[in-house]
Amino acid sequence: MNHAAITVPILAVFMIATVGLGIAARRGRASGDMTEWSLGGRSMGLALTLVLVAGETYTSFSYLGAAGWSYTNGISGLYVVGYLGIGMAISYLIAPIFWSYAHRHGLHNISDIVAHRFDSPWLGALVAITSTVFLLPYIQLQFTGLGVVVSTVSYGAIGLTASYLIAFVVAECFVLVSGLRGSGWVSVLKDGLVVITLAVVFVYVPLHFFHGYGPMLHRLVEQKQRWLTLPGPANHALGIGWYMSTVLLNGVVYSMLPTQIAAFLGAKNTHTLRRNAMIMPFYQVLLFVPVLLGLGALFVVPGLKDSNLALFTMIGKGLPPWFFAVVGAAGALSAIVPTAVFMLVIGTMWGRSVLGLHRRTAARQKELSQAVTLIAGVLALVLTFAYPAALVRLSLLSYEGMAQLLPLVLLSLFSRRMSAPAGAAGAAVGIAVVSALVFTHHDPVFGLNAGLVGLLANLIVVVAITALRPADAPADRLAQPESPIEAEPVAQIA
Amino acid sequence: MFRNRASLCWLAGPPVLYLAAVPLVNRVEPVIFGLPLFMLWMLVATLLTPGCVALAALGDPVWRARRATAQSAVAEAQEVES
Repeated sequence: MNHAAITVPILAVFMIATVGLGIAARRGRASGDMTEWSLGGRSMGLALTLVLVAGETYTSFSYLGAAGWSYTNGISGLYVVGYLGIGMAISYLIAPIFWSYAHRHGLHNISDIVAHRFDSPWLGALVAITSTVFLLPYIQLQFTGLGVVVSTVSYGAIGLTASYLIAFVVAECFVLVSGLRGSGWVSVLKDGLVVITLAVVFVYVPLHFFHGYGPMLHRLVEQKQRWLTLPGPANHALGIGWYMSTVLLNGVVYSMLPTQIAAFLGAKNTHTLRRNAMIMPFYQVLLFVPVLLGLGALFVVPGLKDSNLALFTMIGKGLPPWFFAVVGAAGALSAIVPTAVFMLVIGTMWGRSVLGLHRRTAARQKELSQAVTLIAGVLALVLTFAYPAALVRLSLLSYEGMAQLLPLVLLSLFSRRMSAPAGAAGAAVGIAVVSALVFTHHDPVFGLNAGLVGLLANLIVVVAITALRPADAPADRLAQPESPIEAEPVAQIA
Repeated sequence: MFRNRASLCWLAGPPVLYLAAVPLVNRVEPVIFGLPLFMLWMLVATLLTPGCVALAALGDPVWRARRATAQSAVAEAQEVES
């Protein structure tokens, strides 16, 4: 029997279920206001917060990139585990601070947080625009990842073009109707699928191809020594310095990425966020599965052209087509959920901090946000088709570029003296340094992550300008210390 | 900002495990339970990270206060139901 005849209907069922579930999330929520759409009404419990944080952490990278990385570059792929662990520990401190600040002042994401902190709408607009430039490539990466998964699992029956379109339509459908809450509900389905399929793959693949983990690990230690330490077999730039600087930079930046902020601000209280920080790190054990099996794939499917398919090719060879299809659905959803949230945060930032600034548009922020959510998706889709190379180049910049907003978004909440020009100049210098290094192929530079080098330059500029021309921000525009006695701040509906 | 919250120093645990230790564990030998050392270390770090956050939380007065609030809210809700 033709395998595609089994896998395509299964994929279709999961896609329809996704749209249905995402739209159903809207039911029972009375108001359709901006906060309900963009932040789930700031009322989400631990379960939805967990899956939303996980949804943006375990993207299609967990199925494709992680295995492909270890297949090509060896064990250094575990840098993801390292920075997520550190990032989540830091989120115990940072997430409640953002939550309280945003709750007190009725803010929705980093652009209006910056606008409020510096009492400066233009700076907020700049942050929204800059973030969009760095986030669009993420969406494109997810589209590309999903295209690879769907065309592989459908045995070519669904082409790349059709896959991109399906991802776009599915993600837009539920995110436009149900916003962040819809993404949360779809994440529940996605995470269920990911956990179950990775568990099965974890047990079955080594048994099938190697007769267990013992023999597989033994062969790795005997024959693939160079894959098991830094810098790995392929690229000497990925040494200890690169590993440590990347883990440090990404770990620090993780808690202020706009997608994480959306998940944090959507939680119903700060206690939910602290519990999330405690439970979430366990979930990362899952990431060892693709890294380990990507190494195993060196023996099973050597010489792959597209190393990102290392894990998928093994699953396709070793497991029945119906299960292959379920893995494909898990992979597809791992791309669709982050895509939806990325589009939503871009929409929210534009609606709040760019288009909704004028007093005549201020009342229509939700509609404007939804329009930008749609436009961002269309733009990413068009760019995926028209200039795939341009976006791949930009995606190199994404995390390292976003990192340059750290002083503006986070440090400014603790510093009364930092002025808007200081923060903006620091970010500009940081972004210039990172762009120059990345585009001249000097990343890593002297064995260090270019983003960290940029951030150091950034901080020097901020500190220097702050020392020369200190500002004096009013106390209520800074983060407030959390005290055990004080009650949770009361929400201001904005 | 973080006065009287000394237990938060446990949050330095994950950076120490994942970062500071890297130069010491970047090797294959010794192989324990079949796992090369670097991989094993990262796995141990991942399993210890939630523990570090939990230790930070258990000694944190803010955590204790909020948990007490949450529990009393649950108790009140149950009373209303019964």
